[in-house]
Amino acid sequence: MDWNIPSLKDLEHYFWRCTACGTCRSAYDYGPPPTARPICPAGTEFGFEGYYSSKGKAAYARGIMDGTLDLDDPEFLEAIYKCTVCAGCQNQCQVDYKPHIPEIIEAIRREAVEKGAGPLQSQQNLVKSMKNYNNPYQGPRRVRNEWTRPFKKAKKPIKNINKSPASVLFYVGCTGAFNQTARAVPTATAEIFQKLDIDFGILGENEVCCGSTAMRLGDAAEFKRVATANLETFKKLHEERGVSTIVTSCAGCYRAIKKDYTLSSDFDRMMAGIEVIHTVDFLHRLVKEGKLTFEKELPWTVTYHDPCHTGRHLNKFQVDREGTELWEGAYVDIDESECLYDKPREILQAIPGIKFKEMDRIRANSYCCGGGGGVMTGFGDWAAKNAGIRITEAMETGAEKVVTTCPFCHYNLNEGAKRTGSRMTVHDLTELINAVLPEKTP
Amino acid sequence: MTEMPKNPEVDERIVKELQSIVGEKNATAAKHVRYAYSYDMSFVLPKMPDYVVMAETVEQIQNIMKFANKEKIPVVPFTAGTNIGGLCIPERGGILLDLKRMNKIIKIDAESHYAVVEPGVSHGQLAEALFEHKLRFGWPVGPPSASVSSCAINHGIGGLNARYGLNSQEITSMEVVLPTGELVRVGSCAIVEDAWHSTLPLPKLDGLFKGWLGSTGIVTKLGIAVHPIPPVLKVFTVSCNNVQDMYSYMNNLANYEICDDLTAVSWWLAQVPIPYPYREKPEDAPEWFSFANTNSFTEKEKEAREEIWQMVVDEEVKKGTSLKVTEYPEEALKARTQLPSQIVGSTKNYCKMAGAGISWPGTFTPANKWSPVYTEWKRILIEHKLSPSVRMSMYRGVHYGMLRAMIPFNKQIPEENENARHAIVECLKVDLDNGGIPYKPPVDFGHEINKRAHPGYIELLKRVKMMLDPNDIMNPGKLAI
Repeated sequence: MDWNIPSLKDLEHYFWRCTACGTCRSAYDYGPPPTARPICPAGTEFGFEGYYSSKGKAAYARGIMDGTLDLDDPEFLEAIYKCTVCAGCQNQCQVDYKPHIPEIIEAIRREAVEKGAGPLQSQQNLVKSMKNYNNPYQGPRRVRNEWTRPFKKAKKPIKNINKSPASVLFYVGCTGAFNQTARAVPTATAEIFQKLDIDFGILGENEVCCGSTAMRLGDAAEFKRVATANLETFKKLHEERGVSTIVTSCAGCYRAIKKDYTLSSDFDRMMAGIEVIHTVDFLHRLVKEGKLTFEKELPWTVTYHDPCHTGRHLNKFQVDREGTELWEGAYVDIDESECLYDKPREILQAIPGIKFKEMDRIRANSYCCGGGGGVMTGFGDWAAKNAGIRITEAMETGAEKVVTTCPFCHYNLNEGAKRTGSRMTVHDLTELINAVLPEKTP
Repeated sequence: MTEMPKNPEVDERIVKELQSIVGEKNATAAKHVRYAYSYDMSFVLPKMPDYVVMAETVEQIQNIMKFANKEKIPVVPFTAGTNIGGLCIPERGGILLDLKRMNKIIKIDAESHYAVVEPGVSHGQLAEALFEHKLRFGWPVGPPSASVSSCAINHGIGGLNARYGLNSQEITSMEVVLPTGELVRVGSCAIVEDAWHSTLPLPKLDGLFKGWLGSTGIVTKLGIAVHPIPPVLKVFTVSCNNVQDMYSYMNNLANYEICDDLTAVSWWLAQVPIPYPYREKPEDAPEWFSFANTNSFTEKEKEAREEIWQMVVDEEVKKGTSLKVTEYPEEALKARTQLPSQIVGSTKNYCKMAGAGISWPGTFTPANKWSPVYTEWKRILIEHKLSPSVRMSMYRGVHYGMLRAMIPFNKQIPEENENARHAIVECLKVDLDNGGIPYKPPVDFGHEINKRAHPGYIELLKRVKMMLDPNDIMNPGKLAI
């Protein structure tokens, strides 16, 4: 399988489109009323221009290409990983650099990995774990199934799709399977599916990491290995087990399968007849079709945190690559239709008893939890500190709970709440849905 | 980009000393940090500082300056780096002093109509805070992240030029750290600590720090006048086929002082983005567009402004000029009237088509010279395959104003960078010889200014600089003296 993953050199034209205007530093909206908010977690924490948003990353890319900056310099190496790749800066940029910003940040990291310098020492275990266990958490494969034990115990076992066919594959993701806090996410998802009689199964111990973490860290080889394996599995499941839908409740997995996997020359062939969908989207459809209704009340005051990977990372950019309409490489337009902004909010507000409050920085200008891009592994303290900033913002709305749709955000925001001593609790949207969904009547 | 010059070896002793002032995390000589400060969007060639320091308090700045003065190390103040004159690119290395973390809005006196800001406060940030009081400031067509203070002290212009004057004319008081480290105040706050309302009637010592390109001190607090937002916006838009007709209209309308902003832009600047390389304007398109922003408190006031404007239009038509009441291109108009703006601020308007580079001959020029200067600029720029994307804006109460050409170029290609630099400097010479003066000038411009300057002016400049900065450590080289 061929993969078209660009090198930094391939992207040189685009990082030279950055004008260094610095608009990327803050989320500004004319309004009225006008609003201007910090949008870059790294810039907020470290302050120097190079750390700041896409302006700084263009500088790094140029410095590498002109030979001034050396990825063997440990301080510089650390600097290229001090970015959550949240794409908050991308949302502000208006020039031809815009569509390529996260790709360029990751291409810098790929350059470091190819050189043998990256990723950081603290992230090496993660990569080794990918190789040894097919997950980044150093968890033996059998542990992947631990979260399903209560189902077995309750005599509601979850189908192993390798043994019995099902139309829906619930692709659990490593964070949901291995991270104790985040296990609430697959648990709630599976309970909802069972209550709704969805014909679904999981890969269990045979699930292989989606490769998102490897890709974010610049390890293209490892990403390709697991992504190729997954695409082959998906094709096989479609042909042999009748899978036509892959549901994932992890924003990272969703982004990877939906976007990164399209870098495979065989993507269309491998995924023919299969739809990849995030749990939120899947459940939203059922709500709209009247198949999912909420009867119980949940008297909670909540706010919603948009994960980067189910939000702006799903933007589609129209680029005039050949220059037939405008000029070569012109950024023409943005399509936000795949970003999951409205759907989780609509579901939340459909739950009886919920009082919904919005934070200042939402939707495309959501402030990253701070855990992405390898930061949680590489700089755990900073990740939690940043999550604390987001938790404080959530508290300011008057909400008592923050809801999200990403196990990564879920975990990291919890760390932020602990760090700030906040009583704010963090929940996945599926937990709320599950709480108000009545048990299946026998 | 042209190859980066090699910097001298970093002195670890200096790093340690700076870290002892601002904390270990806020001072560094790391090359990747320095590199990101080595260039901006202008044609000015990249040069790295030797050290980068982030200060958070006035005391830290004082200590940095005392240390730098003792060691004779250059200091380059930096807020957002969004100027297009290479003003924060170090000419002689030294310490790049990043002030973005000093970003507190210290005070908004909604009753007396002034605000006090630290140097890192951005236009976007202040716009939000002022709006809560239904107040405004002269927002420039720069990035929302650009510094209010840096714009004002460098004679930046804003969207209220025609009503209140340049942003530097809005300065009411200052607190400044001198190159030798002493803290001084000018204006009312020098007499009463919490009074920031006026530089008058005291001697206007704020002039020691305005237009000096950060070479006489570091402004740590700035008082500025702010104004109510009249709720009724009316933008009058016209077009003309030539610059002389547009000048005639603007000159006429400026007599009545009814506009917040009275600006005209050439067809090339009205495009989003500016065409690069130069391309001919369609034959049937007018060469000039004007927008005249007016803000009124009542409908009747707006109608009175409309009456005056209509009278001016009628007079210009009667003169036989090519003036027509017309629509202004929608996105360009939005970019000019909804300030601060991401459209112009992000340079989408300016360099999206060219890539990375933008510079200007940005000048204050008598209005009766706009037409001859533009005609020459157009010739020079087209010869260099660059768009004559020119703007003319009338200042408050005078027939004099800003004349500038925003020139995008592809900074990735050194030849294109040099082509733009050459054309722009040629344009500047034409303007200087017609009585115009460049603002926020890169060093190339400084040399051209000084060549033409009265010897007494240069001597005075040197004396004042020497008095304030005896070791020539503040942004040295930028004045080209």
